[in-house]
Parts: sequence; structure tokens; C-alpha cells
Amino acid sequence: MALLEVEGLELRYGAVEAIRGISFRVEEGEIVSIIGANGAGKSSTLLALSGIVRPSAGSIRFGGADITFRRPDRIVRSGLVQVPEGRAILGPLTVHENLELGAWTRRGDPGVAADLERIYSLFPSIAERRRQLAGTLSGGEQQMLAIGRALMASPRLLLLDEPSMGLAPLVVAAIFRIIESVNRSGTTMLVVEQNARQALRISTRTIVLSHGRVQLEGPSRDLARDPVVVEAFLGKA
Amino acid sequence: MSAVPLRRQALPWIVVAAVALADLLLVLRNPADADRLLINVILALSAFATLHLRLLSLANAGFMAIGAYTSAILSVKLGLPVALSIPAAVLACGAVAMVIGLPVLKLKDVYLAIATLGFGEIVRVLIILLPGLTGGPTGANLSTGFPYAAMRATSTWVIAAALLFIAYLFWSLGPSKTGRAFRAIRENPQAAATMGINITGYKSLAFLLSALIAGLGGAFFAHSVGSLDNGDFNFTRAVNILGYAVLGGSGAWFGPILGAGLLTALPILIRDSLGASIGFLHNFAQLPNILTGASLMLVIIFMPGGLASTFALGAGAGAGARAGAGAGPDAGAENRSGAGASRAAVRGSPAGRGGDRRDVPEADEIPPPDTVSEGLADCCLLALDGVSRSFGGVEALSDVSLEIREGGVYGLIGPNGAGKTTLMNLVTGLFPPTSGRILWRGREIQAKAPHRIARLGISRTYQNIQLFSEMSTLENVTAGHHIHIGTSPFSSWMRLPRERREEASAQREATAILERLGMEELAARPAGTLSYGDQRRVEIARALALHPRLLLLDEPAAGMNETETERLGLFIGELKRHGYTILVVEHHMDLVMSVCDEIVVLNFGRKIAQGAPSVVSRDEAVLEAYLGRE
Repeated sequence: MALLEVEGLELRYGAVEAIRGISFRVEEGEIVSIIGANGAGKSSTLLALSGIVRPSAGSIRFGGADITFRRPDRIVRSGLVQVPEGRAILGPLTVHENLELGAWTRRGDPGVAADLERIYSLFPSIAERRRQLAGTLSGGEQQMLAIGRALMASPRLLLLDEPSMGLAPLVVAAIFRIIESVNRSGTTMLVVEQNARQALRISTRTIVLSHGRVQLEGPSRDLARDPVVVEAFLGKA
Repeated sequence: MSAVPLRRQALPWIVVAAVALADLLLVLRNPADADRLLINVILALSAFATLHLRLLSLANAGFMAIGAYTSAILSVKLGLPVALSIPAAVLACGAVAMVIGLPVLKLKDVYLAIATLGFGEIVRVLIILLPGLTGGPTGANLSTGFPYAAMRATSTWVIAAALLFIAYLFWSLGPSKTGRAFRAIRENPQAAATMGINITGYKSLAFLLSALIAGLGGAFFAHSVGSLDNGDFNFTRAVNILGYAVLGGSGAWFGPILGAGLLTALPILIRDSLGASIGFLHNFAQLPNILTGASLMLVIIFMPGGLASTFALGAGAGAGARAGAGAGPDAGAENRSGAGASRAAVRGSPAGRGGDRRDVPEADEIPPPDTVSEGLADCCLLALDGVSRSFGGVEALSDVSLEIREGGVYGLIGPNGAGKTTLMNLVTGLFPPTSGRILWRGREIQAKAPHRIARLGISRTYQNIQLFSEMSTLENVTAGHHIHIGTSPFSSWMRLPRERREEASAQREATAILERLGMEELAARPAGTLSYGDQRRVEIARALALHPRLLLLDEPAAGMNETETERLGLFIGELKRHGYTILVVEHHMDLVMSVCDEIVVLNFGRKIAQGAPSVVSRDEAVLEAYLGRE
């Protein structure tokens, strides 16, 4: 049984159909990437998985349970956690407080303290700044903090919405290295990316969305050579 | 796409019918209540004038009092005919508004509310302190020299005609330059200012309109009721007037009409119908206030946009429907089943398909930048001279100097937090430098307001998108054309031929830019509903509509994939061939290296390198701080 099973998902904003019936699975231990043009429905898919927007049809099963209409906080509690687009860190709070809030659903869990140290060892540049206000971090550090905060909820499946957006080239490379190492330590990942080259490189499977539908799906290695993908996402470079 | 539930389509008309029915019952029951109803609607529109721009003013009761007492004194004590005393009272309110508007409008939100509330109280205290003129604390009535018969001097029809006229003023502003500026300020004052919209000017205009209308309502009130008391203009009145506009919704001019219509009729009807059966309610004088409070709470919880928000987009829908004559297909057009990802990706630049650079666009596809200067080709357009800016002791930019020559494409790169966006904010006047000079064609501009800098021909996009998200895509781009539209509120009200001509050409221009970016099918969509990357393109379109002589792009490719980024690069190249001068902040190095003539590198607020792409990309300091070594 797959960790995440999405069946015939549809989503509309008023008269606009953002997702028009998509189905896919994510197996335990995978990194699955979702790529697609702007407006294809990538972010909408992640928002529906997290329960932030309600789908108009279809079902989402996570770990065997139907979570289609579950409240966002309950979804986080069940182990499906999202790193939002644009990072959405809490700027006026310290780095440490941001991480502590990530463990909100685990209040009283004695494992939290150990996980905090694990996050700090994973992101040394953040550990140096644990008393600093999160809003004063650079873009790359904020992205690391957002990932760290999500990891504090001890997710089984981590959703990442454009983790490389607006980051300097050096930092982009670092973020993708982090994604790979977090995955190696056992967290399944679903990554939405505009940087298709990197997404295809680090993921096991890739889903190509177009106009709210799944256009292509397959092992990332194969899709990286698919003429449609090359033409649409990789450019001539 | 026709699947919008019938219930949702019918809801606005159910609201309108319910309000109309309540008002009809009210007037049938007691025709004298018609005056009260109409006056409340007028007062609601006065609150709308400011609230529409998100100005939380509570000055309306004060202006209402000035209007009421001025007209009463002029007509009863000085014997002026009411036909003259009312306009004079309205003008008096205008004069007062001009005096207090300037200092008061510098305040924001709750501070503005408190200051305007203070103004209202001052007016009321003055009324009490001047008994010879106003009747003092006992009010103006028969015993104080304001005989009822002389005061009662207006007809319901005159008030109704005045109300229609005011509604016409707002309705005709809707699709105009002024209405668009109002909505832009409502949605995002900072972006509006950098589009060349004079925020202070339009806020003052709205405040003035509000005062004039409240004064008119007050004058009608005096001559309809026939007696005056300072208690008629107290805090409760101020809150009630605001309540009409909030309940009805401040997004569209018809909202306050619904709000006042409902809140005037409902309490009276309920009191009368319940009063017969439940005796104590008849004497329950606070019932109207309780109901006002309760319905406000319910509406704010369930309908934050007010009753008018049931009309889908509020002002956007109303204005869009009229303005959108040449606007292209509606949102549903997006639903034509797409030809796949490749088609969508091409959206960035049709001419750039397949990277065919020989496909040079026609000259009229992109508006040329405004008047390319002659004889200045070698002089620099923009120069920064030792510019620094610190925020609370942290120096975000230190001693940066650079020159931008006309027609060049410049790249600004550096790690996150290096000061790139700060530099753009300084150039566009969002805040002044701590030290140093910014020169535009040799003239210092570092002290100028953002809208003045925009008028010089500098426009920009934002790293964190700053669109007018409830306005349509087309309206966003048209707002970018603001400084080139030569109309005024008067030309809209008078329906001058120029109004239609200028509006049509602005719409054409905006549509052409959207077509050029391959976004015409999104023209009618509210900009906030577009995907991230499309919103970036709308920002570029909006900035181009200003015909900038210098275009600042802050991370235009963030949220775009490589193919889309490549198209963007081709588009920037096209702009360059059309004579645009561009400064672009970007992390996509392929884009920067391919389009820029010169690159400036910032690190920790300092310029660490400058030069041709080939030079900068091999610079040791740049590799160390930013690019990394492969």
C-alpha cells in the first residue's frame, strides 16, 4: 500500500478549475517531484493535500486513512507536513521559537528536545543564530528554517512548495543537498519545483502537470530525456 | 464553467429584493420615514467615499453637523432661501475638510479614526458653546429662534434627486482613471504610488467628497426634521454612519446603499411588528442599536466584504463589465482544454518560440519607452553617488556608486540579503538614502515621493508580488498606464468625449501588452487568482504600461521554470532592441549572463564587482561570495 494515494482530485476557485481530476501515488521512502508550467495546478495540489483548500471531488488517502476533508491541524498530526511556498517563517519570532512551534502537535513529547538538536546539527548555519529573529535571516537560511520547522513535526511525508525560489545559485545547490539528505534519513518527500533540472535529478519519480491534469508520469531518469519535458522545462541549455 | 451554483447567482438579487421590500414597507407604514431613509443613504455614501480607500474616518457626523447648522442658520436667521443655504452649507464643509484634511490624512488606521472622532467632538462642543448661534445645549427649535415651520423646508423628491446625483457621481467614476486609482490605493498603496498615482492627492479628494456629501446629508436632515440638537451628531451617529458602509460593503458604491437601506428599515419594522405582541419591546428604545450591532457582527463574520460582496467581485465586477468591452474572453476561456505543457510554457513569449531570434517583433507590439532623449546618448540616465542606507543600525547598503546608461541592460546580483532590493526601493523613492545622492539625468531625486519618481519614467516590479489582487489583470495593467491618461473626475462625470477616447486607448494599450506577453486570456481574471509566475508577468505588463525610460525588474524569473525563464530572457532582449533601459535583479544566472550588458555584484551592502558578464563570472570575489565554483 502506498503512503499517499490521490484519486480523481478536482479543485476549483469560483469559476476557475485549478485541478481537473488527477491521480497519483507516493511510496514510502521516495522523493517524488511535481513539475509543470505556471497555473498547471502544482501548488493547488499541495494545498489540497494539506487540507488548506477543499477539493470539489476526489479522495486523498494517507497511510491508509481517508484525509480528504480532515482539518489541516489533524493532517499535520497524522504526519503529512508542508513547507509552504515563499517559506512563511514567523519573522518576529526567534529561530528557536519557530522550530519549537513546528513541534506544536507534539507538545509533551520527550523526543522534541532531541529533534531540536538534530535539526541544529543538520543546519549548522541556523544553529549559530538560534536567538536571532527569524526575519533577519537571509533567504537561504529562512528556507532551511522552514524545512527544519516542518521536520519538527516528525513528518512521514514532507511536502515542499518551490524550495529553491528566489535563492542565490550557491544556496539553491545547498537546499537540494539538504532535501536529499533528509530523504536518506527516512522522510518521504513530495517536491513542487520550477527548477525542473534539479527536481528531475534528485527525485525517483516525476509527475508533469498541465492545465490541472497529469500529462506525464514516470521515473525521473526517463522523463529527463523525454522530448516533451526537454522542450517545455529544460530549455536548450 | 457554467457550474456556478444557481444559489450563488441568485443571492445578490435576494439581498437587493429583501432590502427593497423592507424599505417599501417602511415608507408605506409612514411616508415621513422616506426622508430619514434617503438621508441615511446619503450619509452612508459619504462614509463610503473614505472607507473605499480604506481610510477609517469618523468625521462624517461632524461634517453632517456643520452642514445642518450652517444651512439652518443661513436660512432661518439670515433669511437665505433654502436653495442657496444648502449649497452654502455644503461648501462650508468642503472648506473645513480642506483645512483639516491635510494634517489628518497623514495618519493611518486607528489613529485616523481617533483624530477624526476628535474632530466630530470639537464640532459638537462648539455647537454647545455658541448658544446665540446654534441654540446651545438645548438644541435649535422654536424656543431658540428656529421656528419649526421655517426649518421644515425640503421635499422628499429633492432629497431623492440629490441621492441619485451622488450615486451617479460614484457610478461614473467606477471605470475611470480616478475610480481605478481609488481601487489601487485601496488594495496596495505602495504599488499604486510607484505606478505614479498621487496617494495624498486622491485621499484628499476622497476626504473632500466625503465631507461635501455628509454636509449635504446634514443640511437635508435639518430641513427635514425641523429641529436640531447636538446629540444628533454624537459618537453613536458617527459609528452608525460607518456601520451602514461596513454592513453594505466598501468595495462597491451600491454596498452602502444596501447597508443604510437595511439598517434604517429593519429596526423600526421589527419594533413595530413585535411591539404589538410583546409589550415591553415597544418601549425598548435600544433595540435599533442592538440590532445594528448584531447584524454588523453577523455580516462581518460571514460576509467580510459586506452585502455588496455577494455580487462576486464587487467593484471589480461592476467596473470590469463596463470597462472590459475590448478586454477579451472571460475567465472561462482558460478552460479550453489545453494543448499541453509546451503550449502553456510558450506563454512567456510567442515570438520567442523555438528560440528564433530572427522573429523580430513589429514595432507597434511593444510600446516604445517615452521620448528617448537626444544628444544625451552618452550621458548616464541614472547615477548613484555614494549611496548608503541603514535600518536601525544595520547598514543594508553602504557607499554604493553606479551609473546606468540609456539603452543598456544591467544585472544586479548577489547573495540573499546583499541589498539588491534595498537599492531598488531607494531608486523608486520608497524610502530615502541615509546618505549619498541619486541622480536622474543629472538631477537629484533622492528626496522625491514615489509617484513623482514614477512620473520621471521609472517603473518596477516587486520581488514579493505587489499586485492589486482583487482587480482584474487588465485593470492592473491599465492602472500602470495611469500617468498617461489625461482625464479627471470632471471628465468622467460630464461624460466628455475625451473620457471615452482616453479610456478606450488605455484599454487598448493594456490589452496589447497582455497579448504581447501571451496573457490575453487571463485579462478578466482577478490578478490574485493567477499562479505565482503569471502574477510576475502581470507585474511586468503593469510596469511596461507606464512606458518607463528605466525598468526595474526584481527577480522576474522567480517561480518560472527554465523554459519560461528563457522566454523571459528573449522578451527582455526584445525590450532592449526597442530602446528600453533595464536593471534586473535575478538569481537565474543563465538569464543574467545572456541578457545583460553589464553586471553589478553586491555583497553585504557593498559593491564587490562590476563589469561585462564574461569578466564578472570569472571574478574571484564573485565566485567566492555568490556563484560558487563548479
